[in-house]
Amino acid sequence: MSYDIKRSVSLYSYQDEYYNKQLDLEGCLRETAKTGATGVELLAEQMIRRFPLPIEDEAFREQWFGWLKKYNLEPSCYDAFLENHIYDNRMLSIGEQVNMMKRDIRLASMLGFKNLRTLVSTPMDVIEGSLEYAEKMDVKIGLEVHAPFSLNSGWADGYMEMIHRTGTKYFGFIPDMGIFCKNIPDVLRDKARRMGASEECIKIVDDAYAQRIEKGFVKIKYDLDLGKANMEYRMANGMKEMMEAVEKAGGGPADMMYAGSSFTYSWSDPQDIIDNIDYIFHTHAKFYNVHEDYTETAVAIPEVVEAFKKAGYKGYLSSEYEGGEHLRADMEVDSIEQVRRHQEAMRRAIEG
Amino acid sequence: MAGRQIYNPDGFKNIEADGKVTGFEFQFKAQYYRGITLSIVRDIKVNVDGVDYPREAVRLTVNGETFTLEEMRTVIDSDYRWEFGDYATVSVLTEGGLSKGSHHINTLQIIDPSYMPFQIEAVCETDFVIE
Repeated sequence: MSYDIKRSVSLYSYQDEYYNKQLDLEGCLRETAKTGATGVELLAEQMIRRFPLPIEDEAFREQWFGWLKKYNLEPSCYDAFLENHIYDNRMLSIGEQVNMMKRDIRLASMLGFKNLRTLVSTPMDVIEGSLEYAEKMDVKIGLEVHAPFSLNSGWADGYMEMIHRTGTKYFGFIPDMGIFCKNIPDVLRDKARRMGASEECIKIVDDAYAQRIEKGFVKIKYDLDLGKANMEYRMANGMKEMMEAVEKAGGGPADMMYAGSSFTYSWSDPQDIIDNIDYIFHTHAKFYNVHEDYTETAVAIPEVVEAFKKAGYKGYLSSEYEGGEHLRADMEVDSIEQVRRHQEAMRRAIEG
Repeated sequence: MAGRQIYNPDGFKNIEADGKVTGFEFQFKAQYYRGITLSIVRDIKVNVDGVDYPREAVRLTVNGETFTLEEMRTVIDSDYRWEFGDYATVSVLTEGGLSKGSHHINTLQIIDPSYMPFQIEAVCETDFVIE
Protein backbone atom coordinates (compact mmCIF):
# COMPACT_ATOMS: atom_id res chain seq x y z
CA MET A 1 0.00 0.00 0.00
CA SER A 2 1.34 3.47 -0.78
CA TYR A 3 2.36 5.53 2.20
CA ASP A 4 3.32 9.15 2.81
CA ILE A 5 5.24 9.33 6.08
CA LYS A 6 6.41 12.84 6.96
CA ARG A 7 8.62 14.00 9.80
CA SER A 8 7.69 16.60 12.41
CA VAL A 9 9.15 17.81 15.71
CA SER A 10 7.08 18.39 18.82
CA LEU A 11 8.44 21.49 20.55
CA TYR A 12 7.97 19.56 23.81
CA SER A 13 11.36 18.12 22.83
CA TYR A 14 13.16 21.43 23.36
CA GLN A 15 11.79 22.08 26.84
CA ASP A 16 15.18 22.16 28.58
CA GLU A 17 16.63 24.78 26.24
CA TYR A 18 13.40 26.79 26.53
CA TYR A 19 13.48 26.53 30.35
CA ASN A 20 17.07 27.81 30.34
CA LYS A 21 16.13 30.64 27.95
CA GLN A 22 18.58 29.35 25.33
CA LEU A 23 15.71 29.00 22.84
CA ASP A 24 12.51 30.98 22.41
CA LEU A 25 9.57 29.97 20.23
CA GLU A 26 11.22 31.17 17.03
CA GLY A 27 14.47 29.49 18.07
CA CYS A 28 12.64 26.19 18.45
CA LEU A 29 11.13 26.55 14.96
CA ARG A 30 14.58 27.33 13.55
CA GLU A 31 16.06 24.22 15.20
CA THR A 32 13.14 22.11 13.95
CA ALA A 33 13.76 23.21 10.37
CA LYS A 34 17.50 22.46 10.68
CA THR A 35 16.74 18.78 11.38
CA GLY A 36 15.04 18.38 8.01
CA ALA A 37 11.58 18.00 9.55
CA THR A 38 8.76 19.62 7.61
CA GLY A 39 6.15 19.65 10.38
CA VAL A 40 5.90 21.29 13.78
CA GLU A 41 3.82 20.29 16.77
CA LEU A 42 3.05 22.98 19.34
CA LEU A 43 2.10 23.03 23.01
CA ALA A 44 0.59 26.51 23.05
CA GLU A 45 0.56 26.63 26.84
CA GLN A 46 4.28 25.92 26.89
CA MET A 47 5.60 28.59 24.56
CA ILE A 48 2.86 31.16 24.00
CA ARG A 49 2.99 33.56 26.89
CA ARG A 50 -0.32 34.85 28.30
CA PHE A 51 -2.12 31.87 26.74
CA PRO A 52 -4.50 32.04 25.00
CA LEU A 53 -4.72 35.80 24.36
CA PRO A 54 -1.99 36.22 21.70
CA ILE A 55 -3.66 33.64 19.45
CA GLU A 56 -6.69 35.94 19.26
CA ASP A 57 -4.41 38.73 18.09
CA GLU A 58 -3.91 39.17 14.34
CA ALA A 59 -0.40 40.58 14.72
CA PHE A 60 0.72 37.47 16.62
CA ARG A 61 -0.80 35.16 14.03
CA GLU A 62 0.92 37.08 11.24
CA GLN A 63 4.22 36.53 13.03
CA TRP A 64 3.46 32.82 13.53
CA PHE A 65 2.60 32.22 9.88
CA GLY A 66 5.60 34.36 8.90
CA TRP A 67 7.90 32.05 10.87
CA LEU A 68 6.31 28.95 9.34
CA LYS A 69 6.94 30.36 5.88
CA LYS A 70 10.50 31.40 6.74
CA TYR A 71 11.38 27.94 8.08
CA ASN A 72 9.22 25.98 5.60
CA LEU A 73 7.19 24.27 8.30
CA GLU A 74 3.66 22.95 8.28
CA PRO A 75 1.60 22.88 11.51
CA SER A 76 1.20 19.17 12.30
CA CYS A 77 -0.56 18.96 15.66
CA TYR A 78 -1.77 21.25 18.46
CA ASP A 79 -1.39 19.68 21.92
CA ALA A 80 -4.30 20.70 24.14
CA PHE A 81 -4.55 20.24 27.90
CA LEU A 82 -8.13 19.97 28.98
CA GLU A 83 -7.70 21.58 32.41
CA ASN A 84 -10.92 20.17 33.81
CA HIS A 85 -9.64 20.33 37.40
CA ILE A 86 -8.64 23.99 37.12
CA TYR A 87 -10.26 24.67 40.51
CA ASP A 88 -9.34 22.44 43.42
CA ASN A 89 -12.87 22.18 44.83
CA ARG A 90 -14.60 20.58 41.81
CA MET A 91 -14.32 19.10 38.36
CA LEU A 92 -15.68 21.29 35.59
CA SER A 93 -19.10 20.18 34.38
CA ILE A 94 -19.33 18.34 31.06
CA GLY A 95 -20.76 21.47 29.46
CA GLU A 96 -17.86 23.59 30.72
CA GLN A 97 -15.40 20.99 29.44
CA VAL A 98 -17.03 20.91 26.00
CA ASN A 99 -16.69 24.69 25.84
CA MET A 100 -13.02 24.40 26.79
CA MET A 101 -12.49 21.78 24.09
CA LYS A 102 -14.23 24.01 21.53
CA ARG A 103 -12.02 26.90 22.57
CA ASP A 104 -8.95 24.74 21.96
CA ILE A 105 -10.25 23.51 18.60
CA ARG A 106 -10.76 27.13 17.57
CA LEU A 107 -7.27 28.16 18.78
CA ALA A 108 -5.71 25.23 16.91
CA SER A 109 -7.54 26.18 13.76
CA MET A 110 -6.46 29.82 14.02
CA LEU A 111 -2.82 28.69 14.04
CA GLY A 112 -3.35 26.45 11.03
CA PHE A 113 -3.48 23.06 12.77
CA LYS A 114 -5.72 20.30 11.39
CA ASN A 115 -5.06 17.94 14.30
CA LEU A 116 -5.54 18.43 18.03
CA ARG A 117 -4.12 16.11 20.66
CA THR A 118 -6.29 15.43 23.69
CA LEU A 119 -5.32 13.43 26.77
CA VAL A 120 -6.66 10.16 28.17
CA SER A 121 -8.36 12.05 31.01
CA THR A 122 -10.83 13.59 28.53
CA PRO A 123 -14.31 12.17 29.25
CA MET A 124 -16.01 10.43 26.32
CA ASP A 125 -18.99 12.80 26.58
CA VAL A 126 -16.67 15.78 26.09
CA ILE A 127 -15.21 14.28 22.93
CA GLU A 128 -18.65 13.40 21.59
CA GLY A 129 -19.98 16.81 22.49
CA SER A 130 -17.20 18.48 20.49
CA LEU A 131 -17.38 16.40 17.29
CA GLU A 132 -19.81 18.62 15.42
CA TYR A 133 -17.69 21.69 16.09
CA ALA A 134 -14.50 19.81 15.19
CA GLU A 135 -16.03 18.94 11.82
CA LYS A 136 -17.17 22.50 11.26
CA MET A 137 -13.65 23.80 12.01
CA ASP A 138 -12.01 20.90 10.14
CA VAL A 139 -9.81 19.96 13.11
CA LYS A 140 -9.54 16.28 14.06
CA ILE A 141 -9.42 15.33 17.73
CA GLY A 142 -6.80 12.68 18.46
CA LEU A 143 -6.69 10.81 21.74
CA GLU A 144 -3.11 10.20 22.81
CA VAL A 145 -2.38 6.50 23.33
CA HIS A 146 0.43 6.72 25.85
CA ALA A 147 1.86 3.93 28.01
CA PRO A 148 0.36 2.23 30.00
CA PHE A 149 -2.54 2.52 27.54
CA SER A 150 -2.47 0.68 24.23
CA LEU A 151 -4.38 0.09 21.04
CA ASN A 152 -6.31 -3.18 20.65
CA SER A 153 -7.25 -3.08 24.33
CA GLY A 154 -10.41 -2.97 26.41
CA TRP A 155 -9.61 0.67 26.95
CA ALA A 156 -9.41 1.45 23.22
CA ASP A 157 -12.59 -0.59 22.52
CA GLY A 158 -14.63 1.98 24.44
CA TYR A 159 -13.55 4.69 22.00
CA MET A 160 -13.89 2.43 18.99
CA GLU A 161 -17.51 1.81 19.92
CA MET A 162 -18.09 5.58 19.94
CA ILE A 163 -16.40 5.99 16.53
CA HIS A 164 -18.62 3.30 15.00
CA ARG A 165 -21.79 4.53 16.69
CA THR A 166 -21.35 8.17 15.59
CA GLY A 167 -19.62 7.42 12.28
CA THR A 168 -17.33 10.37 12.96
CA LYS A 169 -14.29 11.10 10.82
CA TYR A 170 -13.11 13.71 13.30
CA PHE A 171 -11.90 11.53 16.13
CA GLY A 172 -9.14 8.95 16.27
CA PHE A 173 -5.94 7.92 18.03
CA ILE A 174 -2.51 9.51 18.32
CA PRO A 175 -0.18 6.66 19.30
CA ASP A 176 2.83 7.60 21.39
CA MET A 177 5.73 5.41 20.30
CA GLY A 178 6.62 4.91 23.98
CA ILE A 179 4.17 1.98 23.71
CA PHE A 180 6.80 0.21 21.59
CA CYS A 181 9.68 0.01 24.09
CA LYS A 182 11.83 -3.10 23.74
CA ASN A 183 13.92 -2.12 26.76
CA ILE A 184 13.88 0.21 29.71
CA PRO A 185 15.75 3.33 28.49
CA ASP A 186 19.47 3.41 29.38
CA VAL A 187 19.15 7.00 30.65
CA LEU A 188 16.80 5.79 33.39
CA ARG A 189 19.12 2.91 34.30
CA ASP A 190 22.10 5.31 34.47
CA LYS A 191 20.14 7.68 36.69
CA ALA A 192 19.29 4.79 39.03
CA ARG A 193 23.01 3.94 39.17
CA ARG A 194 23.93 7.54 40.00
CA MET A 195 21.38 7.37 42.82
CA GLY A 196 23.00 4.21 44.16
CA ALA A 197 20.98 1.33 42.69
CA SER A 198 22.64 -2.09 42.83
CA GLU A 199 23.45 -4.15 39.74
CA GLU A 200 21.59 -7.08 41.27
CA CYS A 201 18.34 -5.13 41.61
CA ILE A 202 18.75 -3.57 38.16
CA LYS A 203 19.04 -7.07 36.71
CA ILE A 204 15.88 -8.23 38.49
CA VAL A 205 13.96 -5.30 36.98
CA ASP A 206 15.47 -5.70 33.49
CA ASP A 207 14.74 -9.44 33.50
CA ALA A 208 11.16 -8.83 34.63
CA TYR A 209 10.71 -6.35 31.76
CA ALA A 210 12.09 -8.88 29.27
CA GLN A 211 9.64 -11.45 30.64
CA ARG A 212 6.69 -9.10 30.26
CA ILE A 213 7.64 -8.65 26.61
CA GLU A 214 8.02 -12.36 26.08
CA LYS A 215 4.70 -13.23 27.70
CA GLY A 216 2.95 -10.18 26.27
CA PHE A 217 1.75 -7.27 28.41
CA VAL A 218 -1.66 -7.68 30.02
CA LYS A 219 -3.54 -4.68 28.63
CA ILE A 220 -5.15 -1.90 30.62
CA LYS A 221 -8.93 -1.75 31.01
CA TYR A 222 -11.25 1.17 30.43
CA ASP A 223 -11.97 2.95 33.71
CA LEU A 224 -12.65 6.62 34.38
CA ASP A 225 -10.62 6.18 37.56
CA LEU A 226 -7.20 6.25 35.88
CA GLY A 227 -5.30 5.62 39.11
CA LYS A 228 -7.29 2.44 39.75
CA ALA A 229 -6.96 1.21 36.15
CA ASN A 230 -3.21 1.82 36.28
CA MET A 231 -2.73 -0.07 39.55
CA GLU A 232 -4.73 -3.05 38.26
CA TYR A 233 -2.62 -3.02 35.12
CA ARG A 234 0.60 -3.01 37.13
CA MET A 235 -0.50 -5.86 39.35
CA ALA A 236 -1.67 -7.93 36.35
CA ASN A 237 1.81 -7.50 34.87
CA GLY A 238 3.65 -8.86 37.89
CA MET A 239 4.55 -5.69 39.76
CA LYS A 240 4.03 -7.21 43.19
CA GLU A 241 6.32 -10.18 42.56
CA MET A 242 9.02 -7.97 41.06
CA MET A 243 8.90 -5.48 43.93
CA GLU A 244 9.18 -8.32 46.43
CA ALA A 245 12.23 -9.70 44.62
CA VAL A 246 13.87 -6.26 44.66
CA GLU A 247 13.10 -5.88 48.35
CA LYS A 248 14.52 -9.33 49.08
CA ALA A 249 17.72 -8.35 47.30
CA GLY A 250 18.06 -5.44 49.73
CA GLY A 251 16.71 -2.77 47.36
CA GLY A 252 16.86 0.82 48.62
CA PRO A 253 15.12 3.97 47.33
CA ALA A 254 17.13 4.05 44.07
CA ASP A 255 16.29 0.42 43.30
CA MET A 256 12.63 1.03 44.13
CA MET A 257 12.58 4.08 41.89
CA TYR A 258 13.98 2.02 39.03
CA ALA A 259 11.57 -0.82 39.65
CA GLY A 260 8.52 1.44 39.89
CA SER A 261 9.50 3.50 36.84
CA SER A 262 9.87 0.37 34.73
CA PHE A 263 6.07 0.25 34.63
CA THR A 264 5.85 3.53 32.76
CA TYR A 265 7.24 1.73 29.68
CA SER A 266 5.48 -0.91 27.68
CA TRP A 267 5.61 -3.00 24.56
CA SER A 268 2.78 -3.42 22.07
CA ASP A 269 2.99 -5.45 18.89
CA PRO A 270 3.56 -3.03 15.96
CA GLN A 271 0.74 -4.96 14.25
CA ASP A 272 -1.53 -2.73 16.42
CA ILE A 273 -0.64 0.16 14.09
CA ILE A 274 -1.72 -1.83 11.03
CA ASP A 275 -4.97 -2.96 12.66
CA ASN A 276 -5.94 0.59 13.63
CA ILE A 277 -4.56 2.61 10.73
CA ASP A 278 -7.97 3.97 9.68
CA TYR A 279 -8.12 5.83 13.00
CA ILE A 280 -4.53 7.15 13.17
CA PHE A 281 -3.77 10.54 11.63
CA HIS A 282 -0.85 11.74 13.74
CA THR A 283 1.86 10.05 15.82
CA HIS A 284 4.11 11.06 18.70
CA ALA A 285 7.51 9.60 17.93
CA LYS A 286 8.58 9.36 21.56
CA PHE A 287 12.27 8.65 22.23
CA TYR A 288 14.66 8.61 25.17
CA ASN A 289 18.24 8.49 23.95
CA VAL A 290 19.49 8.20 20.38
CA HIS A 291 23.16 7.23 20.30
CA GLU A 292 25.82 8.56 17.94
CA ASP A 293 25.22 5.59 15.63
CA TYR A 294 21.53 6.58 15.36
CA THR A 295 20.21 3.66 17.41
CA GLU A 296 17.56 4.51 19.99
CA THR A 297 17.90 2.97 23.44
CA ALA A 298 14.32 1.72 23.91
CA VAL A 299 11.84 2.47 21.12
CA ALA A 300 11.93 -0.02 18.24
CA ILE A 301 12.04 2.67 15.52
CA PRO A 302 12.76 0.44 12.47
CA GLU A 303 10.04 -2.11 13.34
CA VAL A 304 7.41 0.51 14.08
CA VAL A 305 8.19 2.54 10.95
CA GLU A 306 7.97 -0.69 8.97
CA ALA A 307 4.47 -1.24 10.36
CA PHE A 308 3.47 2.32 9.36
CA LYS A 309 4.73 1.64 5.83
CA LYS A 310 2.87 -1.64 5.58
CA ALA A 311 -0.29 0.04 6.82
CA GLY A 312 -0.01 2.80 4.20
CA TYR A 313 0.17 5.58 6.80
CA LYS A 314 -0.24 9.10 5.52
CA GLY A 315 0.76 11.48 8.27
CA TYR A 316 3.50 12.76 10.51
CA LEU A 317 5.85 11.02 12.91
CA SER A 318 6.58 13.82 15.36
CA SER A 319 9.78 13.58 17.45
CA GLU A 320 9.05 13.81 21.15
CA TYR A 321 12.22 13.72 23.24
CA GLU A 322 11.69 12.64 26.82
CA GLY A 323 15.12 11.45 27.95
CA GLY A 324 15.96 14.83 29.46
CA GLU A 325 13.89 14.13 32.55
CA HIS A 326 16.44 11.51 33.61
CA LEU A 327 19.41 13.83 33.10
CA ARG A 328 18.43 17.33 34.12
CA ALA A 329 18.92 16.99 37.87
CA ASP A 330 22.55 16.03 37.34
CA MET A 331 23.73 17.42 34.01
CA GLU A 332 22.94 19.58 31.05
CA VAL A 333 20.48 18.25 28.49
CA ASP A 334 21.22 18.58 24.76
CA SER A 335 17.79 18.22 23.20
CA ILE A 336 18.93 19.88 19.98
CA GLU A 337 21.45 17.10 19.29
CA GLN A 338 19.01 14.40 20.44
CA VAL A 339 16.28 15.61 18.08
CA ARG A 340 18.79 15.89 15.21
CA ARG A 341 19.86 12.27 15.72
CA HIS A 342 16.27 11.07 16.09
CA GLN A 343 15.18 12.77 12.87
CA GLU A 344 18.08 11.11 11.07
CA ALA A 345 17.17 7.73 12.57
CA MET A 346 13.57 8.16 11.37
CA ARG A 347 14.71 9.37 7.93
CA ARG A 348 16.78 6.22 7.52
CA ALA A 349 13.90 4.00 8.58
CA ILE A 350 11.37 5.78 6.34
CA GLU A 351 13.60 6.01 3.26
CA GLY A 352 15.44 2.74 3.83
CA MET B 1 28.06 18.44 34.96
CA ALA B 2 25.74 20.97 36.50
CA GLY B 3 22.05 20.13 36.76
CA ARG B 4 19.09 22.34 36.03
CA GLN B 5 18.87 25.66 37.87
CA ILE B 6 15.63 25.94 39.82
CA TYR B 7 16.32 28.96 42.01
CA ASN B 8 17.54 32.39 40.92
CA PRO B 9 20.92 32.59 42.72
CA ASP B 10 20.49 36.37 43.04
CA GLY B 11 16.94 36.18 44.34
CA PHE B 12 17.48 35.48 48.05
CA LYS B 13 16.99 38.53 50.26
CA ASN B 14 15.25 39.86 53.33
CA ILE B 15 12.18 42.03 52.85
CA GLU B 16 12.29 45.43 54.52
CA ALA B 17 9.37 47.76 55.18
CA ASP B 18 9.54 50.99 57.17
CA GLY B 19 13.03 50.18 58.37
CA LYS B 20 11.96 46.77 59.73
CA VAL B 21 12.69 43.32 58.31
CA THR B 22 9.30 41.67 57.76
CA GLY B 23 10.32 38.46 56.00
CA PHE B 24 12.45 36.99 53.23
CA GLU B 25 11.98 36.22 49.57
CA PHE B 26 13.36 34.01 46.82
CA GLN B 27 12.68 33.27 43.16
CA PHE B 28 12.22 29.89 41.51
CA LYS B 29 10.81 28.22 38.41
CA ALA B 30 7.91 25.76 38.22
CA GLN B 31 9.16 22.17 37.80
CA TYR B 32 6.84 21.29 34.96
CA TYR B 33 6.91 21.69 31.20
CA ARG B 34 4.26 24.28 30.38
CA GLY B 35 2.86 27.54 31.76
CA ILE B 36 0.04 27.08 34.27
CA THR B 37 -2.75 29.01 35.90
CA LEU B 38 -1.94 29.72 39.55
CA SER B 39 -5.13 27.82 40.43
CA ILE B 40 -3.42 24.47 39.87
CA VAL B 41 -0.53 25.30 42.21
CA ARG B 42 -1.92 23.42 45.18
CA ASP B 43 0.82 24.26 47.68
CA ILE B 44 4.27 25.72 48.23
CA LYS B 45 5.81 24.38 51.44
CA VAL B 46 8.85 26.35 52.53
CA ASN B 47 11.48 25.02 54.90
CA VAL B 48 14.70 26.91 55.69
CA ASP B 49 17.35 25.37 57.93
CA GLY B 50 14.83 22.80 59.17
CA VAL B 51 12.13 25.36 60.03
CA ASP B 52 8.72 25.02 58.34
CA TYR B 53 6.89 28.25 57.58
CA PRO B 54 3.08 28.31 57.79
CA ARG B 55 1.02 28.34 54.58
CA GLU B 56 -0.55 31.66 55.63
CA ALA B 57 2.90 33.33 55.63
CA VAL B 58 3.61 32.52 51.97
CA ARG B 59 2.89 34.86 49.03
CA LEU B 60 3.59 34.36 45.34
CA THR B 61 4.22 37.17 42.87
CA VAL B 62 3.97 36.88 39.07
CA ASN B 63 3.89 39.77 36.62
CA GLY B 64 3.78 42.32 39.44
CA GLU B 65 0.73 40.93 41.27
CA THR B 66 1.01 39.21 44.65
CA PHE B 67 -1.35 36.47 45.85
CA THR B 68 -1.70 34.40 48.99
CA LEU B 69 -1.83 30.63 48.45
CA GLU B 70 -5.50 30.77 49.39
CA GLU B 71 -6.18 33.43 46.74
CA MET B 72 -4.27 31.48 44.12
CA ARG B 73 -6.93 28.76 44.21
CA THR B 74 -9.11 30.90 41.92
CA VAL B 75 -6.51 32.76 39.82
CA ILE B 76 -6.95 31.80 36.15
CA ASP B 77 -6.23 35.16 34.44
CA SER B 78 -3.95 34.95 31.38
CA ASP B 79 -1.80 37.83 32.63
CA TYR B 80 -1.00 36.00 35.86
CA ARG B 81 0.06 32.56 34.71
CA TRP B 82 3.28 31.05 35.98
CA GLU B 83 4.96 30.98 32.58
CA PHE B 84 7.22 28.06 31.70
CA GLY B 85 10.85 28.98 32.38
CA ASP B 86 10.02 32.17 34.30
CA TYR B 87 10.85 32.84 37.91
CA ALA B 88 8.02 33.56 40.34
CA THR B 89 8.88 35.41 43.53
CA VAL B 90 7.95 33.76 46.81
CA SER B 91 7.75 35.99 49.88
CA VAL B 92 7.62 34.53 53.35
CA LEU B 93 6.37 36.85 56.07
CA THR B 94 8.31 36.30 59.27
CA GLU B 95 9.45 39.00 61.63
CA GLY B 96 13.18 39.60 61.43
CA GLY B 97 13.55 37.54 58.22
CA LEU B 98 16.66 35.37 58.00
CA SER B 99 20.00 36.00 59.69
CA LYS B 100 23.00 37.09 57.65
CA GLY B 101 25.11 34.20 56.41
CA SER B 102 24.60 30.76 54.88
CA HIS B 103 21.29 28.90 54.78
CA HIS B 104 19.70 25.82 53.25
CA ILE B 105 16.26 25.89 51.64
CA ASN B 106 13.98 22.94 50.88
CA THR B 107 10.77 23.93 49.12
CA LEU B 108 8.08 21.52 47.99
CA GLN B 109 6.14 22.64 44.92
CA ILE B 110 2.83 20.89 44.51
CA ILE B 111 1.26 21.28 41.06
CA ASP B 112 -1.85 19.42 39.93
CA PRO B 113 -2.24 19.12 36.15
CA SER B 114 -5.76 17.85 35.52
CA TYR B 115 -4.79 14.87 33.42
CA MET B 116 -2.38 13.31 35.88
CA PRO B 117 -3.55 10.66 38.32
CA PHE B 118 -1.07 12.05 40.87
CA GLN B 119 0.05 15.59 41.75
CA ILE B 120 3.59 16.63 40.88
CA GLU B 121 5.54 17.11 44.10
CA ALA B 122 8.89 18.66 43.27
CA VAL B 123 11.52 18.95 45.99
CA CYS B 124 13.60 22.08 45.37
CA GLU B 125 16.75 22.34 47.46
CA THR B 126 19.75 24.65 47.47
CA ASP B 127 22.21 26.54 49.66
CA PHE B 128 22.20 30.32 49.68
CA VAL B 129 23.60 33.32 51.49
CA ILE B 130 21.81 36.33 52.96
CA GLU B 131 24.08 39.36 52.82
